[in-house]
Amino acid sequence: MTVQSGTWPRMTSADEFRFLSELVLTRSSADHTIVSLRDHHAGTTRFANNQIVQNVDARRGSLAVTVAFGGRHGTASTTNFTAGAVQDTLARAERIAQVSPVDPEYLPPPVPCVFPVRETAKPETMAAGPVKRLEYANEAIGHCRMENIMAAGVVSSSTTAVGIAADNGLFGYERRADARFSLTVQAGDATGWGAAAHRSIDHLRVQERTLAAIAKSKRGRDAYELSAGDYPVILEPAAVAGLWAWLMWSLDAKSYTKGTSPFAGKLGQPIVDERLTLRNVPDHDDLLGVGFTHEGLPSIDSVWIDRGILTQLAYDRFTAKTGGVETIPTLEAPALSVEGPSAHSIQDLIKSTERGILVTNFWYIRPVNPRDLMLTGMTRDGTFLVEKGEVVSAVKNFRFHESPLRAFQCLSAWTAPMEAVNSETGKMLVPAMALPHFHFSSVTRF
Amino acid sequence: MSDPTWDEFAELALKRIARSGAEYGDIRIQDSSTEHIEGEDRRIASIRDVQDIGFGVRVLYHGAWGFAASSILSLEEVPKVADLAVEIAKGSASVALEKVRLAPEPVHRDRVVTPYRIDPFSVPLEKKTDLVLNTMETLQRQPGIARSSARLWARRDRKLFISTEGSRLEFDLLAGQGECTATALHDGRFASRSFNTPHLRKGYELIEEADFPREASRVADQAIEKVKAPVVDAGQYDLVLDPEHLSLTIHESCGHPSELDRALGYEANYAGTSFLTTEKRGTFCYGSRHVNLVADNTESETLAATGYDDDGVMCQRWDIVRNGMFVGYCTSREVAPKIDESRSRGSNRADGWGNVPIVRIANIGLEPGEATRDQLMADVKRGIYIEGHGSYSIDQRRYNFQFGGDAFWLIENGRRTHMVRDVIYHGITPEFWNSCDGVADRSFRRRYGFITCGKGQPGQSGWMTHAAAPARFRRVQVIRGEGSP
Repeated sequence: MTVQSGTWPRMTSADEFRFLSELVLTRSSADHTIVSLRDHHAGTTRFANNQIVQNVDARRGSLAVTVAFGGRHGTASTTNFTAGAVQDTLARAERIAQVSPVDPEYLPPPVPCVFPVRETAKPETMAAGPVKRLEYANEAIGHCRMENIMAAGVVSSSTTAVGIAADNGLFGYERRADARFSLTVQAGDATGWGAAAHRSIDHLRVQERTLAAIAKSKRGRDAYELSAGDYPVILEPAAVAGLWAWLMWSLDAKSYTKGTSPFAGKLGQPIVDERLTLRNVPDHDDLLGVGFTHEGLPSIDSVWIDRGILTQLAYDRFTAKTGGVETIPTLEAPALSVEGPSAHSIQDLIKSTERGILVTNFWYIRPVNPRDLMLTGMTRDGTFLVEKGEVVSAVKNFRFHESPLRAFQCLSAWTAPMEAVNSETGKMLVPAMALPHFHFSSVTRF
Repeated sequence: MSDPTWDEFAELALKRIARSGAEYGDIRIQDSSTEHIEGEDRRIASIRDVQDIGFGVRVLYHGAWGFAASSILSLEEVPKVADLAVEIAKGSASVALEKVRLAPEPVHRDRVVTPYRIDPFSVPLEKKTDLVLNTMETLQRQPGIARSSARLWARRDRKLFISTEGSRLEFDLLAGQGECTATALHDGRFASRSFNTPHLRKGYELIEEADFPREASRVADQAIEKVKAPVVDAGQYDLVLDPEHLSLTIHESCGHPSELDRALGYEANYAGTSFLTTEKRGTFCYGSRHVNLVADNTESETLAATGYDDDGVMCQRWDIVRNGMFVGYCTSREVAPKIDESRSRGSNRADGWGNVPIVRIANIGLEPGEATRDQLMADVKRGIYIEGHGSYSIDQRRYNFQFGGDAFWLIENGRRTHMVRDVIYHGITPEFWNSCDGVADRSFRRRYGFITCGKGQPGQSGWMTHAAAPARFRRVQVIRGEGSP
């Protein structure tokens, strides 16, 4: 292929963003003005039934202007970066703000600061185009064809230019690369799965993950129905991440202060096993840390759960100010770890299990009850019965009905943290874990 | 010199596609305006006016697809993007085994406009923010209500679709919606109750007809009643489900499994596949004789009634389940020939210019029966009446589902008695629909739309409407949505 995508598109540079933001800031009549940039170029090669079924490449640049007159604020955005359109966007934002009611929670733009510089722009990912994606897709498909099983999946790569500027001197600009691979392989009625997300497209480990998914699908044949009920479980990292994502999404400080949070009254209290610690580690090479947030706050290293104790909440700026919280922590690069000696591998967790269920991944996790963080969802792409230290059979998929606040009260065993990503959560580092109790409420047909 | 017209941009792209030797190509140019007004706890938290313009070019070259899109609509950008789409299609073709063959569709030249009485974008912003603030005030006037929210949403899509086959379709579409929620606190517990207008292709009259002051007052009262209600006892119950609740049940357990691309494995890596595999068409008993699920993309005001889909196929009406039997799929021009259908059902849609169209659930609705709602309840000894949406989850082949709801009332000896809380029911899709033994008549039929139906990689949000009248289901397993079920 002679695809021109190596030169297309030319993403908005820092200087261009500065020019665009100045165009707004110098013309704004508002008390406060913020300009945000998101210029996103992404390509995805999608395959199913061992064939390419979709191959796309798209660029969307968007500029948002937020202005405030006193406590009256409004936001307008555009994908048209011509001078006339940008000025029109400012005018639209001003019109909204001028007639908006005063917002008692409005705050001026954050005080300017020097944002951390992070290696978010991996050149190998930004240079990857349809050819590279097709190469990886073909590699995965090739392995599956050799085994006479069907593969479906995606290879994607993207670059996003992100910027924020305000009339008080706040300015940030960053390029963020992102590469993803995931596949589901189907061997008869059984499926296996693998996924990766990384700043570097060279770290997707397509072959390793494809072979692991194939092995999982082969092992998943002839699944039988085991009754629903309470079981010890071994949760692989993606399954752990699925449950912890909902726990993290529920840490909203405003709900906490209003009494509508599952954590109400629990700040400073133990909420999970005392060996568990949750941190934000934006500098970790395998996480998707950023330099600053969409609000213009620096992303920082922080501790959210310290040896089982809830130590931090997710603050909006107003709630933070009201609560006297000066530094607002972020949680875009979560890493969960367990204190104490860990098993070397998931296989070691299996070896030390007398009887339990091995769960590869969960699917369609949704809250059942926001008061106790009761969740439901399905096991997916590899659910197995473990007996006397060995996987003895595949079992049909279960629906679970469980709260992470209950399930993670006590861990039996764990591995070191590993990369984890699934279709519904962001990237995390989490251990695989063995838990003594987990409630499965029903069984499906496969 | 005047700016180029959209037709001139389209012509520029289609010429490049034709010159490449591709067998098919199309361009969609779209200009979307969205207004979000969001209130939270008695304040206007945000007002956003989002303008999104761009174009996408789709090319079928030697039986393989390529697609490229950009938000820069210019004479320089359009040929570059068209060429890139061609190059990507050529790359796909180089590894293709099975060639894509499109089902034929007549050439259409048409203009589709949403009829409306009041343009939502012309309504003064102050009037809309007043409505949002007053609604929250009404909600929080009720003692015991700790939190409130209210939202208004409006969207206009101007779109031009032109294909190398000669179709030229112009769209000027509107949609809107409004909603409010009250959250009550009592005895350390909290519970929410919501009112939503349906998402419909109507003007601001949709909001004015909704009577927010009355609905907000009702919702606040019911939030208090809900938080104080006893928790349900687990066990088997007969369920009577209201249309809003059923819209989600239909969407998840009938809509998604009837998407042919899922049945064929295209979505296996993300949204999943379907238990309604192709050999079941015409032979599988999906539900009882009372269950007639009809796809109708021609019904005015509904979200998928856009005249044509993004394949340029005219919207249609067809059966998905007839007298309980599974008989039809939602299809596109690509997948329809794979089950020997001569024409697409016109269910191929993208969520904007930047994404490629994929098979989407149509406006699938449950056909009305002959009973009244009271008659459905009269024959229930121990049951639950459920309104609105709550928790929902379903497996990737759409067999095992679990739903909550927004409000629940116990039915005892044929009468709706009092509220209960934390009701969750679960089942297996065909067993559940086979337990349906009554649907209320057309006078009880209501329509509810979805605009956040997630599918595809990269992810897209689908729009569709599901209509239903209340329906009764026998002996459904209910568990408690708190503590140990």
